[in-house]
Amino acid sequence: MSVRAVSGRATDGYGVSVSAWLAHRTPVTTRTLAEAGRGHGLLRSLARLGGEGYLVGVSDAPWMLGVRAPDRSRAILVVTVDGELAVAVRDAVPRRMAVIRDARPDDAGEIAGACLPWPWMVVGSDVSLTPVLARILRERPVLTFWLGAAPDGLPGHARLFDRPAALLDAIRDACEANVGGMRLAPGSGVELGDGTLLRGATLESLVAAYPDGFALPARNFRAVSEALARHNAGWTAQRDSSTRMMLVPSAPVTRR
Amino acid sequence: MRANPEVLILEDDAETLDELQGHFTRKRFHPLGARSAARALSLLEHNRYSSRPVLAIIDWDLGKAPDRSASSGDVLSRLARELRECPVIVYSQNIDAFNVRSQIQRSHPRALLHDKRDGDASLLERIDRMLDRTVGDLRIHDGTVVVHLPTLDQHHHREAIRLVVHHPDIVTFHSDTATKAVRRFGEWLHSHSSAVRLVSHGNRKYRLAVTATEGAAPDPEA
Repeated sequence: MSVRAVSGRATDGYGVSVSAWLAHRTPVTTRTLAEAGRGHGLLRSLARLGGEGYLVGVSDAPWMLGVRAPDRSRAILVVTVDGELAVAVRDAVPRRMAVIRDARPDDAGEIAGACLPWPWMVVGSDVSLTPVLARILRERPVLTFWLGAAPDGLPGHARLFDRPAALLDAIRDACEANVGGMRLAPGSGVELGDGTLLRGATLESLVAAYPDGFALPARNFRAVSEALARHNAGWTAQRDSSTRMMLVPSAPVTRR
Repeated sequence: MRANPEVLILEDDAETLDELQGHFTRKRFHPLGARSAARALSLLEHNRYSSRPVLAIIDWDLGKAPDRSASSGDVLSRLARELRECPVIVYSQNIDAFNVRSQIQRSHPRALLHDKRDGDASLLERIDRMLDRTVGDLRIHDGTVVVHLPTLDQHHHREAIRLVVHHPDIVTFHSDTATKAVRRFGEWLHSHSSAVRLVSHGNRKYRLAVTATEGAAPDPEA
């Protein structure tokens, strides 16, 4: 005996169906059905080649693109309409320093959400900001580099560039930043002068932005200042005269 | 038990696939060969819990594949999602075209690119450079062991091989078992006073770092 499972109305974009045996109680989700349609996953044996539900010749399902996979490595999100700038950024950045996430305007918000806790840098050109991406840039210390005209919603600390070469130089400089011996560790975190590895996306952003900073509330940077003080790094996060939070040398600690 | 580390090979040309499989077999790796993306996905699916390749070689253009129900992009996406610790080399005749590179990057942001026009020998050379690694005072031998050169002591776990192959990159490990193996490798390095040390980045992320000492190759990032 078999039952036909339909996940939803076709207008919802869930118009995938398979035939399944009643005896197997399998949680039916869009993903499992889509996987089964490709001959994989829990329901794969029920949707064989040439059979109902088997998708032939369909590839690149947007939900499974690797660029959308959540990851905690340092990420540079490049948002363009065709991906050419992302290819150039990838060539410019040492592979061990950051993962380049090549986004289109329609999936930039989702890919930004997959960069945990947030993208270290967002690079864009000729696109408008989606609400999700604009909120991340507004609320988090994200290095924001833009080629050409700035779209609405870019934060005040965004850097604008007229030429691709200048943009790529600035990205390289950010990767190689060295602030009083503090530098970006490969992949994630910041290495202090004594080799100690400090983890924290905010500190990574501050080091790479130096001597600039971020037009964000001071509360976003308290944990960084505390961590730097704990390790006697000689630096702290402080608001400068232009109202941006940035790294500044801290007063030497005197011990009684 | 010593299990030879697996290498996934997706190549639609039967002759080239044979050549690549033979190369890895000679190097004591266990090749998982596939002529179609669907077969490669099936190999990954069926070996999901028993095997995690230490390397994947993916031909981007699968015009000769006997089954075209899936694409090389599908395989790359699955590798990026489920086997992030596996380094991937993608090769194509059109690797210079930015739209091809962009598609590859969107499928697998960490994939290494190789130009097929440079010939199979060039690909094999590159693979050998990755797998016959010497990192500080460590060397991979026969694809199955990490040798501490000053003492010739051996460490057999595949996660140790993975770390050496990946150096200086960070590796994200998939399970507590793998993480425990990595920590044991870190203790092994410490007990041998190796010039290489294990660095934890949290969230099951580790990398190797080389302390610059006499006779040891310094860390490239230092």
